[in-house]
Amino acid sequence: MAEALRWRSISLALPLCILLPALVLVPLAFILPSQVHGGGVDLIGRFFLAALHPSFDPMVVNSALSGLAVTLAMAVLGWAISLLGGILLGLASSRILWSTTAGLGWPATGIRRLLALPRSIHELLWGLALLQLLGLRPVVAVAAIAIPYSALVARVVADLVDGLETTRLDALRSAGAPAPVALLTALGPPLLPGLMSYGGYRLECALRSATLLGVFGLGGLGTELRLTLQSLQFRELWIGLWLLFAAMLLLEGALAALRRRWLTPRRLSLPEPVVTRQERRLELAGQEMLLLVLVLLPLCWVLASRLEVRLGDLTRLQPLPPFGVPQWQQVLDLPWPLLVGNTILLTFLSAALAIGVAPLSLLVAAPWPAARWLLRMGWALGRLWPPPLTALLLMFVLQPGLLTAALALGFHNLGILGRLLLEGVEEVPSGPREALERMGSGSRLGLLYGSFSAVARSYLAYGAYRADVMLRETVVVGLVGATGLGSLLLESLTAFAWDQLLALVVVYATLTLLGEELSDRLRHRLLGSTRAPHHLSKVLTDVSVDGFKMGESAQSARVSPERPATSP
Amino acid sequence: MEPRLILETITVPGRGGPRLQGVSLVLRPGERVALLGSSGAGKSTLLSVANGLLPPQVGRVLWDGQPPASSRRRRRHQQARIGTLWQELRLIEELTVQQNLNAARLAHWPWYRAWLNLLLPLDTPANLEALAQVDLEPHLLAAPVAALSGGQRQRVAIARLLRQDASLWLLDEPLASLDPRRARDVLHLILGLGEAPRALLFSLHRPDLLEGFDRVVGLRQGRLCFDLPAAAVQQTHLRELYAGSDTSNG
Repeated sequence: MAEALRWRSISLALPLCILLPALVLVPLAFILPSQVHGGGVDLIGRFFLAALHPSFDPMVVNSALSGLAVTLAMAVLGWAISLLGGILLGLASSRILWSTTAGLGWPATGIRRLLALPRSIHELLWGLALLQLLGLRPVVAVAAIAIPYSALVARVVADLVDGLETTRLDALRSAGAPAPVALLTALGPPLLPGLMSYGGYRLECALRSATLLGVFGLGGLGTELRLTLQSLQFRELWIGLWLLFAAMLLLEGALAALRRRWLTPRRLSLPEPVVTRQERRLELAGQEMLLLVLVLLPLCWVLASRLEVRLGDLTRLQPLPPFGVPQWQQVLDLPWPLLVGNTILLTFLSAALAIGVAPLSLLVAAPWPAARWLLRMGWALGRLWPPPLTALLLMFVLQPGLLTAALALGFHNLGILGRLLLEGVEEVPSGPREALERMGSGSRLGLLYGSFSAVARSYLAYGAYRADVMLRETVVVGLVGATGLGSLLLESLTAFAWDQLLALVVVYATLTLLGEELSDRLRHRLLGSTRAPHHLSKVLTDVSVDGFKMGESAQSARVSPERPATSP
Repeated sequence: MEPRLILETITVPGRGGPRLQGVSLVLRPGERVALLGSSGAGKSTLLSVANGLLPPQVGRVLWDGQPPASSRRRRRHQQARIGTLWQELRLIEELTVQQNLNAARLAHWPWYRAWLNLLLPLDTPANLEALAQVDLEPHLLAAPVAALSGGQRQRVAIARLLRQDASLWLLDEPLASLDPRRARDVLHLILGLGEAPRALLFSLHRPDLLEGFDRVVGLRQGRLCFDLPAAAVQQTHLRELYAGSDTSNG
């Protein structure tokens, strides 16, 4: 042992790397007691008890159901528009397309740079800004989702197209096929699986975003959840929450079933289908997708007319207070280092909590299947429960501030990361884990050595991506006075302080773009640095589908070193 | 001394008929038993029952005279005495050879040592000795398994078996993907290392590699076809065992 303790011989193995962020729990355990005020412990108790007997009053149930319908409609419309817009913008920012059709590369780069701004701003900010400009109209929430999502989808589509093999395209072009026909024939089919998988993922995100926008007053179930929480009507709150929970699980289940049926790329690792089978599935998927689009188009039209979403409303500005003379000196006097520092600290804290606690809790639960099931349910609640509401709930027992905000943000992202980690653990080959358990290691060490080793690199890469998303999300917990850029952004928006708002948006966007760049580099380093083991190599050579999929395309990474950011 | 393994009238159901039906087998300390049979005969299923991975629907498994323990801790100690060499090796690709070899000791180690193994090189002398026994270079100890060749991995898996120090070795067709010369080398290596008081149950495709075994057990369509001393196995037994199947693929 003494020999082993030489400093140089210390090296952190992969399974420990994914648990390392959980060390943040140690300082938290010391700091947290000083933040507790204990005034609302009984309220927290009442809140959780109400989960067991939610209100079934017909009026409450009807109200929750209509709220859910509005949220779902906002999500579907925002998602559909962003998918359509994103595909078009993505094609317009693809280097291959420009070089094939016009022999130019710079327009693609220019469009990509233009799209960086809308995607760097969280949909909540878009929603609140549009709310100020247009007033409370149904189109606001839809546009708030559609604008940043279109830019995100565009980036992914462009990356996918530029990451594809061009040999087939070159062959068609040299055979004299017109550019559009050659592009469609050569790039369409290989693009489809990644696009379908990503589209499904964005629909899940859209549901979460629509709920969040509701929390900030843009209608739907989110608004009801916030109102019932603030008026302490927990039984009424829980019926809405359970309905949302059921809708989310149904959606996730349906999308997972479609992913399996169409053999589209999965998140942490992939099945290894035989090529002929994949081709057959792709053909089937193409036909079924066409059918789905044919169903979706009239559905969107019906939803838009029921919600009274009119795109023309986007041009009807409401009267705004006078802009006044910009007070730039006051803007400069803002405590910028503190604001930026707190935003970064909030991101680090919540990211460490989410990334580290997911594997730690899986390890703790490993010997008991029932505990794993409970974790699954807890994480599902974390995913759907908007962070601002968690923050409000936490404020029953904790003082408002950075720590409360970090816990709220961490809990939400824990739900997302935990689910992905669990999927990954269930998907990687179980052989090494079983072999260890057969040697008497026990289930915890079997999981630590056998499964975490296999998923660690991809999980950490996804964690890096998620940290980048959390940096954007710091704005949504601004309402608990987290003293970062988010709080001030929300204040400036509601106070019509346009000069301050402009400066804050510029700093916030710069920060998020820098975070995105850092996260990209980290992900590429994690996924491309060492020889990949067999089950990851499949993932690594697969197409790039944004950061949501843990296995990132090495090929795509080379073609496009930048990665798109996404919202929650 | 108690038999290392007793299988009593084991039956395992399957979709198209039972995967094992009424199979009984006893392995005494020091015995080296070859398990023969064509593909789908039930060899891997039998080994899975023998190492506790697959509980039989009917029948009983005894290790060192004891049934599988109900308490988690005692079961872990039982499992630690059963070593399995899997056909696909089941090493942890992302960890080093050293960490893989030490993984075989997890059942005996306190929790903090199991975690330290992911941070520090532990038990280096014992691991070097195990590597030497399987003719691997010492410098490979620090190499990740993913960087090794197929042959090196197989030897690491055998070294892991040695580090486990199990009293019962179950070997699931470790020669299946090897050329004839390497298969013979690996077989001799395993038989040389698996000495008494260990007992060996070695699943084989090839009836030409029975040299060095004490007994031969033949399985056909999930049933015990014969259980004979190696010297008593005749061509007629093998013909009966492989009737209607192709043995040329190993």
